[in-house]
Amino acid sequence: MLTQSPKQAIKLENLQLTLGQDASRVHVLKGIDLDIDAGTSTGIVGPSGSGKSTLLMVIAGLERIDEGKITIANVDITNLGEDELAAFRGKNVGIVFQSFHLIPNMTALENVAVPLELTGTPNALEIAEDELKAVGLGERLNHYPGQLSGGEQQRVALARALAPSPAVLIADEPTGNLDGETGKQVTNLLFERQREKGLTLVLVTHDLALARRCDRTIPVRSGKIETTDA
Amino acid sequence: MPEQAQNANLRLALQFALRELRGGLRGFYIFLGCIALGVAAIGGVNSVAQSITNGIASEGQAILGGDLSFSLAQREITAEQIAFLKSQGEVTKLITMRGMARLPDGSDQTLVEIKAIDEVYPHYGSFDLSDNRSNSLKDNEVAAEPLLLERLGLKPGDRLEIGSSIFNLVAEIEREPDKVGDNIGFGPRLMMSLDGLAKTGLIQPGSLLRYHYKVKVDDPTQARIAAVSASAKEAFPDSGWRIRSRENAAPALTRSVERFSQFLTLVGLTSLIVGGVGVANATRAFLETKRPVIASLKSLGASGSFIFKLYMVQILIMAALGITLGLILAVMMPYGARYALSDLLPVSDGAQFFPAALAPGILYGVLTTLIFSIWPLAVSQETKPTELFRASTYGENRGRPKRVYVLALLFCVATLITSAIYFSDNRFISLVFVGATIFAFVMLKLVAVAIQFLAKNAPSVRSTPLKMAIANIHRPGALTASVTLSLGLGLALLVALATIDGNLRSQIENNLPEDAPDFFFVDIQNDEIEPFRSKLLEIAPQGKIISVPMLRGRVVSLKGIPSEDYKTVSGGEWVLQGDRGITYAKRIPENSTLSQGEWWPEGYSGPPLVSVSAEEAGELGLDIGDDITINVLGRNITAKIQSFREVQWETLGINFVFVFSPNTFAGAPHAHLATLTTNDAKNGNSDGTLLKELARTFPAVTAVRIRDALETVNGLISQLSNAIRAAASVALLSSVLVLAGALAAGNRERVHDAVVLKTLGATRGTLMRMLVLEYGLLGFSTAIFAILAGSLAAWFVISIIMNFTFVIQPTIALTTVATALLFTIVLGLLGTWQILGQKAAPILREL
Repeated sequence: MLTQSPKQAIKLENLQLTLGQDASRVHVLKGIDLDIDAGTSTGIVGPSGSGKSTLLMVIAGLERIDEGKITIANVDITNLGEDELAAFRGKNVGIVFQSFHLIPNMTALENVAVPLELTGTPNALEIAEDELKAVGLGERLNHYPGQLSGGEQQRVALARALAPSPAVLIADEPTGNLDGETGKQVTNLLFERQREKGLTLVLVTHDLALARRCDRTIPVRSGKIETTDA
Repeated sequence: MPEQAQNANLRLALQFALRELRGGLRGFYIFLGCIALGVAAIGGVNSVAQSITNGIASEGQAILGGDLSFSLAQREITAEQIAFLKSQGEVTKLITMRGMARLPDGSDQTLVEIKAIDEVYPHYGSFDLSDNRSNSLKDNEVAAEPLLLERLGLKPGDRLEIGSSIFNLVAEIEREPDKVGDNIGFGPRLMMSLDGLAKTGLIQPGSLLRYHYKVKVDDPTQARIAAVSASAKEAFPDSGWRIRSRENAAPALTRSVERFSQFLTLVGLTSLIVGGVGVANATRAFLETKRPVIASLKSLGASGSFIFKLYMVQILIMAALGITLGLILAVMMPYGARYALSDLLPVSDGAQFFPAALAPGILYGVLTTLIFSIWPLAVSQETKPTELFRASTYGENRGRPKRVYVLALLFCVATLITSAIYFSDNRFISLVFVGATIFAFVMLKLVAVAIQFLAKNAPSVRSTPLKMAIANIHRPGALTASVTLSLGLGLALLVALATIDGNLRSQIENNLPEDAPDFFFVDIQNDEIEPFRSKLLEIAPQGKIISVPMLRGRVVSLKGIPSEDYKTVSGGEWVLQGDRGITYAKRIPENSTLSQGEWWPEGYSGPPLVSVSAEEAGELGLDIGDDITINVLGRNITAKIQSFREVQWETLGINFVFVFSPNTFAGAPHAHLATLTTNDAKNGNSDGTLLKELARTFPAVTAVRIRDALETVNGLISQLSNAIRAAASVALLSSVLVLAGALAAGNRERVHDAVVLKTLGATRGTLMRMLVLEYGLLGFSTAIFAILAGSLAAWFVISIIMNFTFVIQPTIALTTVATALLFTIVLGLLGTWQILGQKAAPILREL
């Protein structure tokens, strides 16, 4: 199943996707081709409705495409089933959301342990604790999301995404719900951890300053990539 | 998935579920209430029934009045037989019969259930009289139940005439240990000594009395009792006596309790199913709040089946909690019943925990939970993690449940139906009940669709509140389906039960046929019948008198098969149990018509022939030419079935299942039964005079006023219908709970609408009218459905099963509409009332 060079973490070929039904039918992705090297950071930018978030979902294996081929971490995920995709995601893709999406009735530690427990990792809680300490939340292990600030919640979300040591980390507007200063701290942490772990980072953002910190910026407009290099 | 991985998966689901449940019970109160109520109703009814059955079993000796009871109609046992019984233990002899108790001046009288006892009575238990003495009634003394004293205005010390003798009423009966073992009486109990009864002159050839011989076995082990019973049967095969042992002290009562509890279990099951709607609503609402969590978990690698397990575990934990609450209530019910029923029934005194009786509640509780939660769970596990990025921007994207979940749901429904039918004695009734519930469910769904269709296509109205109310009924996410479903089923059940009850009462109270007799007279001696008829005609010259010979007989065998081994086709067992009144006739009796076969010719003198009521013959699977053996006065008589008759039982005239050819009982001593139909007596004014006149000439004849007898039956129906209503109220309570939950779920949209409309200039009055109209229209439509569906079910029971004339009950219909309107409007407004008075801005900021 090896279809990309060892350097490539993500390879997208002629992605086509149409969403909605009848009158609300929208051709969201119109023939996207993209190669992303392992260990690099890529920022996807574009106006609202351009298809950038959908592109991110496709990379994460959350959205199925109508046509084309997706290869992530050397695995062709195009035709994987729903549960196979979930299992693949659990091991290979970490996701950070704009709205954090932590599980409210679980502590920070338990939230971080979830992806590890789902893959049957034996020492899930110890790994989760290490990850939380690495994002500076060693003192907040047993706090519930409701007891944490927005910045802290996003750091927990980052720790959760990184805990299974995925090959690819994707982030959807990771600072969108944070104030400027907190956003900056989370961004620093994101890039810091990405470099430390040698991950492939793909993020979607409206924030051009954030996008500029990436190794590469991909502008998307009307479901197409305008140019492959910033 | 390998078994080990599956177990790990389940363990993880349980671990995650426990973490998620830290959020507490919020959103689950209605869920818990619905399950708890249903389980409590089912478990409680069964526990009370078990308690009564245990009570009967544990007090078997006292209820039977001995270890073994031998009874015979109209005759004593032989000296040889009494010697046999005495060789097994101590014997007490009793005689029971009906008679008239009169004031010595003849001014008033009433029917009494006489029990004459010897000095040995009772073997077990205590016989208590109000003057603190037990059995020491002299032959001129009687004791009576308080009801007799109340009816005739007597007090201890007064005098009372029974038959042709005057007795001193010495005390009230406080406790008669073996009363429950006897059949339900039409009058209060009167106890006297055997010598006292002999003095009354009531014991005549053919009198309807029964002799009982109760044996206190010397070595009362179960094996010994069984051995005595077997050797009695073996030694005296043609004795005709009915033998009962302490193990089976009150078979009719035990059977009735079991059947009634099975019926109430079905009613309880309905309340559980009504509550199931609440379970579904609560599960759906709960899972709706969990969509982001489900999407998050799926984005982190959780499979759909893991999500299903995770939330199924939580739902089952909640169900377990609800079931536990229900079981606690159910366990408490027998204690309550002990206080409420102790005067009527032997409720067990011991521990009141009956695991087997609680099992159906647990089973039905779990099945209902599964049935009503599988679908929403299966839909939820299809939640797409893409929702974390965009909230269904491109339309609803929930997916359909996988086939495996649909199959699981169907399996649970099938298991519930099968269990409900399997655990019931009367499977036909259970089948009808289950069928009706499914039908009602489907109909309610259709009704909801119809209401929405009508609302959508209703002509435009000028009134703004009405326009908005109608719009609210058909808009997407309207309350219509949940309100009709939640309230409709409970109300329909209540209407059905109330209509059946009303019909039975009116059948008894108002629908007395024009030609129904006013009096039954029993124990008219053979040589008295003509003078009796003359006297009656003299007192009531316009009256119609019918008299027939009457004997008592026990069916020994049908078609050569002993009655205890005989398998009936569909009911009719009662014909084979105990003694039946039988008669003989030259011509076809009144109130019946020949439906098959021929009547015997006048002066017939061949082998005995019998005509059987067609309905019972059908139930028993009898054909023309079949043999019936009946034991009359200790003699087995075999007759061939010559004809079937359609009998109009509802006329309340004299009717018999078996009418024999006159030569069958030639020479046998017997009494006569007579009826008197007179319009004068129907108003009750001349009853007293008539009875007084008759009593003077025929003191041994017992008169039963039909209205008094009906009152007794009516009283019994009242008690039963109260129990049924109590069970049905649980269904209504579940309905209201579910309704409250459904309305609360729709509250957020109502508040949103109300606030937006206020900002657009709507006054509180307009909003109020809009809400009242919306809730009122929904409540009214549901009530109409409930009346139609409930009446249809009642019609089925009354007309098809019971063969009575069905009468629509307008009061019930009106009450139903009022109840539905009250519940929907009050519960609906409760949620929105406070909002109406608030300023819009703070709420708008929150919305």
